[in-house]
Formats: sequence, C-alpha cells, structure tokens
Amino acid sequence: MDEDREPPETDEDAQPEGAEAEDGEAEDSEAGTTRRTFLIRSIAAIGGGIAATVGIPAALFVTGSARAQGDEDTWIRLASTSSIEPNAAPVLMKATVSRRSGYLIEEQEVSVFVTTTDGVVFTVLSNICSHLGCRVRWVDDQDGFFCPCHNAIFGPGGEVVEGPPPRALDQFEVMVEDGQLFFKEA
Amino acid sequence: MSTRMGEWLDQRTGWKGNWTAVFLRKIPKVNWAYTLGSATLFAMVIQFVTGILLTIYYVPDPAQAYASVSYITNDLPFGWLIRGLHHWGASAMVLLAILHMIRVIMYGAYKYPREVTWITGVGLLLITFAFGFTGYLLPWDQRAYWATVVGTRIGEVPPLIGGFIGDLMLGGEEISGLTLSRFFGAHVWVLPSLLILLVAIHMYLVIRNGISAPPKRDE
Repeated sequence: MDEDREPPETDEDAQPEGAEAEDGEAEDSEAGTTRRTFLIRSIAAIGGGIAATVGIPAALFVTGSARAQGDEDTWIRLASTSSIEPNAAPVLMKATVSRRSGYLIEEQEVSVFVTTTDGVVFTVLSNICSHLGCRVRWVDDQDGFFCPCHNAIFGPGGEVVEGPPPRALDQFEVMVEDGQLFFKEA
Repeated sequence: MSTRMGEWLDQRTGWKGNWTAVFLRKIPKVNWAYTLGSATLFAMVIQFVTGILLTIYYVPDPAQAYASVSYITNDLPFGWLIRGLHHWGASAMVLLAILHMIRVIMYGAYKYPREVTWITGVGLLLITFAFGFTGYLLPWDQRAYWATVVGTRIGEVPPLIGGFIGDLMLGGEEISGLTLSRFFGAHVWVLPSLLILLVAIHMYLVIRNGISAPPKRDE
C-alpha cells in the first residue's frame, strides 16, 4: 500500500522522457497534468482509500478488547470482621472473583493484606508491589512488606521504606456490612 | 524533500531501477482480462492482512474456537468487517485465481518461455484450495465440522495409502482438538510460507519474461 503513494515522484522523473508520448492521448500540458500523472494519482488515491478502509477498522479491532470496560467496580467480600485480630501482623486474605475477559468468564484469585487496630476500622492493602508488579510478603523480622524482585521494603502502612518503588502500596476502599468486610479494587 | 530522500536511498539501494522494472515496465497492448492476476494478488494481500488480524483474537482450541469467533463477529469493533472480508475474500481469491487461469489458457500464455510460470501458478491454485479447506474448519461450527468430515473422507479414498492420508489430515482416528490445531498451523504457517515462496517465483518470472500479447487472429 505504501508503494502506491510513491509514484508521483517517480513520475516526475519519468515525465520528461515522454515515455507515454507514443500513446498520443490526452496530453493535457496546459493544466500541467498528463494522462500518466492523473492515472498515477488516481491509483494512489484509490490505494490510500482502500488502505484506510481496512486500516482504520483494523486499528479499532486490535485495540477493541483493550478499550473494553473492566468490571473492577464491585464490592468483593473478604471475611467476617470478627475473624480479624486487632493489632496482629497483616494477614494475607484471598477472595475469588469472576472476571470477564472477552468471551471468557474466568475465576480469579485476588489477595490483599488486612490490618486493624481496633476491630472497627480496617485497612486493606494491595499485595502488588508498586514498582513492577511482583507480589510482596509480610516479614515479621523487618516489620514490613518485602518484595523479592528488587529488594523493596514497605512499612506496615504500605509506605516505602527502602528500594525502588515510586509510591506506597495501593490501599483499597473498605466497607463493613453485617459483620462482613468488603473491599473494592477500583 | 522526499525527492532528495529518494535519491539518497537510491544511491544506497538502487531501488529506482527495481521500481521501474516492476511497476513501469513496458507491456504489450492488453485488455482487462490481464488484470486478473493482479486482482488475485490483491485478494491475497487482503487475506494476509485480515487473517493476521483475526489471529489476534482467534483461539484454536475446541473449547474456545467457536466462542472466540463469535466474540470477533459480535462483540469487537469492526470484527464483523474483518472476518467478513476474510470469509468473502477467500471465495473471491479462488474465483479470481480460476478466472486468471482460464485467461492464461484461452490466450495460450502458458507456452514457451512461460511454462515454469504456469507450473508455479498451478501450485498456487492448489495452495489456495488448501487454504480454503483448512480455513473452513477453524470457526468450529457444525458446518465446519461436517465439511471436514466429508473432506477428510475424500482423502481416504485412494487405495492402500488412503487410510493413512485420512489419519494424517485428522491427526488421529477422528476429528479432535488435534485436527483443529493442525489445520490452524497449516492455515497460518505452512500454507502462507509456501504461498509467499511460490508467489515470489511466479512474479519474478512474470517480470523477467514479460507478459504475452493477446494472440493474433491467424496465430
């Protein structure tokens, strides 16, 4: 398709030779357009039209699933609040959510760290390192979250203590209803 | 600007000479029937582009093939267009290739010195049929399934080796995920490789030997 757009230059070079003169047809020199340049430009225009007709839908098609709306805006149930001990080390809690990816509904496991000081207000932290997405784990000795990929350490509240992460661990929105703890990923 | 860049490139690559040899070569006075080869080539380009786009979402797995095709057709933006172009483009390519072949036969264009062009052309037609046959299974719907049952039974017809040919096509005793994945592999890797190779030879010969003028009345 690219090649279709080139000919005008080539034509300007070829024109003085008058290669098409033997045809003798439609030499429209007054307007400065020969039959040859007209045809070449037409081919380029049609080629460009075809390329756009396929190219633009193709771009929308390829980016389609990437632009689709996610379903992260739902409350995910974690556990009953009474099962979470106040002032204990952060506990890794797992929840299973079903996620739609294209035509598939997949069961996914999400893990978060849960802490509370009083059993009333809960903090839910992402276990995903804010640097490059590895999973962090709680290390009692260091009183912090450790990321094994690049030796990052986050404090108990998720703040960066050491290493390359640009920001604290993500903290999620929390809701308590009927003694059950929920969080939202968005 | 672009003229200077063209010059710069030409001094290093000599592209202008090739450009002239391919696109600005002299041809005899011909008619519209002579565009059928280029039309087939154009259909092939469309098949390549749309086919590559389809592989981005298509999954050659018995559990997912139909759902992924349905997702392409019904949910993705312009999926219906991309798949539609590939679907109808396949028929168009077969039709154009056959019309092109009829033109070559009718005008005697297969004769000396163009026999090799003809032979590669026959190879290309067979590859095009193989594309159609293997691609037909990929949507993994009832029509695809039963068409492949029939097609592979035809492959079993030859005496002695027939049974083996059938098993070879199916990747086993009957249609399964193995059949789907080998048809997919053939359709997107094996056949395109062969096609590009043969098209390159075919077109090199067309350019090298030039195209034949329509025969005169008393030839």
